[in-house]
Amino acid sequence: MKEMKIAKSELARFLDSLISEYKVFAPVKQGGFIAFQEIHSGSEVLLDYVNSKKPPKEIFFPQSEVLFNYRLGGEGLGIEEPTFEDKPMVIFGIRPCDARSLVIFDNIFNSQEYKDVYYTAKRERTLVMAIGCNQPSSTCFCTSLGGGPFSTDGSDLLLIDIDQEYVVQAVTDRGKQLVKKHSQFREAGRRSLSLMRKVTQRASTLIKSKVETGETKKKLDGMFEDPFWDWLHEKCLGCAVCTYLCPTCHCFDIADETLDQMGRRVRIWDTCSFPLFTLEASGVNPRPTGKERMRQRVMHKFKYFVDNHNVAACVGCGRCIKDCPVNLDIRTVLNSILNR
Amino acid sequence: MLNTSVMIRDTAKKLLDQKRVDLIIGFETGTLPLRSTPCFVRTSEEAEKLIWNASCENNLARYLWGRKEKVGIVAKGCDTRSIISLIKEKQVAREQVLIIGIPCHGMIDRRKIEAKLDGKEILEADEATERVILKGSDFTETINKAEFLHNSCNTCSYRNPVIYDVLIGDKVEEKQGIDEYGEVKEFEAQPADRRWQSFTNEVSKCIRCYACRNACPLCYCQECFVDSSQPQWIGKTTNLSDTSMFHIIRAFHTAGRCVDCGACDRACPMGIDIRKLTKKIEKDVKELFHYQAGVNLEDMPPLAAFSLDDPQQFIR
Amino acid sequence: MKNPYIPLAMTAEKIVIETDDKNIKTFSLSFLNKAEESSFNYLPGQFAQLSVLGEGEAPFGIASSPTQPGALEFTVNKVGVLTTALHNLEEGAIIGIRGPLGNCFPLELFKGKNIVIVGGGFAFTTLRSLLKYILYHENRSQFSNVTVIYGARRPGLLLYKDEFKQWEARPDLGLYLTVDQADEGWRGKVGVVPNVIKEVAPSPENAYAVVCGPPIMIKFTLPVLRQLGFPPQRIILSLEMKMKCGIGKCGRCNIGNKYVCQAGPVFTLAQLNELSSEY
Repeated sequence: MKEMKIAKSELARFLDSLISEYKVFAPVKQGGFIAFQEIHSGSEVLLDYVNSKKPPKEIFFPQSEVLFNYRLGGEGLGIEEPTFEDKPMVIFGIRPCDARSLVIFDNIFNSQEYKDVYYTAKRERTLVMAIGCNQPSSTCFCTSLGGGPFSTDGSDLLLIDIDQEYVVQAVTDRGKQLVKKHSQFREAGRRSLSLMRKVTQRASTLIKSKVETGETKKKLDGMFEDPFWDWLHEKCLGCAVCTYLCPTCHCFDIADETLDQMGRRVRIWDTCSFPLFTLEASGVNPRPTGKERMRQRVMHKFKYFVDNHNVAACVGCGRCIKDCPVNLDIRTVLNSILNR
Repeated sequence: MLNTSVMIRDTAKKLLDQKRVDLIIGFETGTLPLRSTPCFVRTSEEAEKLIWNASCENNLARYLWGRKEKVGIVAKGCDTRSIISLIKEKQVAREQVLIIGIPCHGMIDRRKIEAKLDGKEILEADEATERVILKGSDFTETINKAEFLHNSCNTCSYRNPVIYDVLIGDKVEEKQGIDEYGEVKEFEAQPADRRWQSFTNEVSKCIRCYACRNACPLCYCQECFVDSSQPQWIGKTTNLSDTSMFHIIRAFHTAGRCVDCGACDRACPMGIDIRKLTKKIEKDVKELFHYQAGVNLEDMPPLAAFSLDDPQQFIR
Repeated sequence: MKNPYIPLAMTAEKIVIETDDKNIKTFSLSFLNKAEESSFNYLPGQFAQLSVLGEGEAPFGIASSPTQPGALEFTVNKVGVLTTALHNLEEGAIIGIRGPLGNCFPLELFKGKNIVIVGGGFAFTTLRSLLKYILYHENRSQFSNVTVIYGARRPGLLLYKDEFKQWEARPDLGLYLTVDQADEGWRGKVGVVPNVIKEVAPSPENAYAVVCGPPIMIKFTLPVLRQLGFPPQRIILSLEMKMKCGIGKCGRCNIGNKYVCQAGPVFTLAQLNELSSEY
């Protein structure tokens, strides 16, 4: 299929027609921040933004998700499994780093070996329409982790902003079908394509933050007992900011909520930063201090996940860097590891 | 402030060389503009990293818990008040801390600056005495520091350290005639349903990351009530009811202990106005018990002690 | 697509108090829906997640052997929210189960070998499953000498006392029970498990050691076994970690890059040494 484009002036109309068929999630202003929310009109979309505060993982892996409801007093356990909507979804305006994070998430929740009922119910019916980053932030280091401001990993369609229009790269068949169905897309001419190349080349040079992560896993292989971990965690508050705002963190807790005979079991975000994460009822805790927990976090993201899935559990989105209350910068951590 | 940084470094080096402390907790330059980051210095060489500027917003007293060694700590006014609270609650011994007190002109609120720049990214910030020059990819803007300080700094009457072992530089003039509780009074004047709406709007942003709790120097409980399972006091989801209870109970737990250092507010990634509650409770404690946390080493926190002449009009 | 988070219903047919302090009970559970029984195929070493809806869920080693048809047995120590809820149940109560989960003891490797089973405190649950499996008349001849060394702090805290009485009489089993502190009626050994192992000195020739117990016991047992000549690949451990999903997704029970609920809970010492010194 030839490269297509869509005028920015047509975008609201395109989204409106999408909304008639799909549940559309797009970046909107919420309080002082950006969030991916369901939109009901194309004009609600915010196009001039860097990235959302919370990662779009919350659409597929919400902070709390009902695993099942139950009602005691009858026969057996009285379990009612949840039903899922089947209206197709579009997530529009996601950044390439976050689109990549969905692929990384799939390793856990949507793989050959295991398909999570709750996650796949949303993931499989969602079309991912990303917008590339013409103006990466100073905290973006996606290129150090196999991504890039115009990476197509995880997207069905990638839009590239060339000022008045977006050039559209159809990455998957599903993406191609969508473009074919909507009249707002026209063929992109030579001029558009050349503008696109200028934009993409420039953006790559704008990623100033670089960490040489090629050797990180190998270094970490031998670092479990390294004294480095003794001082790394000292300023860490042990809160959940970095993990909850991380697009690839997937750890969760399971809790029962009950009112007399009825209740539900929910899956909720959890973090390896909390001591409670591994605390056993006997009082024994295999990760008793911040040192072990910080080591776990770093090792999991940059070694264990690589061992098991051949990719680091980090897309370089920079959210943890921006919002860590004590400015504990993962790039500094990675550089320190490489210099051991 | 470069001067201040140099003085801190010299003091730190001396203290470490003389072995008067085993560790100095201070700040070093952060990895982002307008940020600094806590640092833990144990040698003279490392002490070279120490800095001081208007981005040193964290309350380092948070890092005093459970320490066995002799610690030097860089502390501004509010931080020293937290240290006093910790000493009173026997979390740290007075002899154990060597307080390097810094008179403070207030800390910059990055969110106010971000709001002013309407999302444009700051790539460089040069801080001078009165002004800050902010540079982005396509702009340069100069701001008056005083207009962009944290709210807690704007109403602060303890800009000078309340206790210290070493004072860096000269004391600053304390502000006079501040209406510390102006915002609280405005809020109190609203009808109950509006106050509740306002409160729930704030806490509905909460993602239960506990950055507020973990940043607070006074939240040192081995088992926080949110983590209790026998009994379980609140649920762990972001259900509004559970989240509201978390914030309300935490605010009450800090009653008579909170010094309004703003660490909780600054730590929150979602920009929740946490001080709305804590400041109101601070006002209540002042009015009911004539007590302010952390201003001297002698008086007892009202909720940690009793005297026979405590007010008791509520007992009928 | 089967949803692994949905528990199946079981009835607590029998609840037996094991210890004199009443803190440990053994539950015999049977499926409410008989058809589900045939799909629950497990081997010694595996565990299941038991639920009391409204209270929570926790992992428990399966204490019965698949050679015992009918009920699944779990021995539960009352120590937290869920275990207290289980202890408060009466016979006939409904309990949820998810499983079988985890890996099993390497029975194929054990064939033709001498098996030394070492247990401490209330960690004898999956070891009981293994022992009963081995002693089962159809299986016994597949294994050589079987030695069991099991200890508790005092006689009242030993599990499965009636069964051990029966096993004591067996000629095809070397059984050594020990307590740290004896009482009047105690006729067995007195001493901590590692010391009894030194005393019994089982030969490492052609043998596997299977160890399960509290961290402190493991800490002192492993060097004894190593000194006796057991190589790390023939020391089998069953680990405990806090678990939630039981299927390697929630991220909490890992040691190194392996999840104890999936690659374990049964590991060889050689495997553990490679993973990390976290545990």
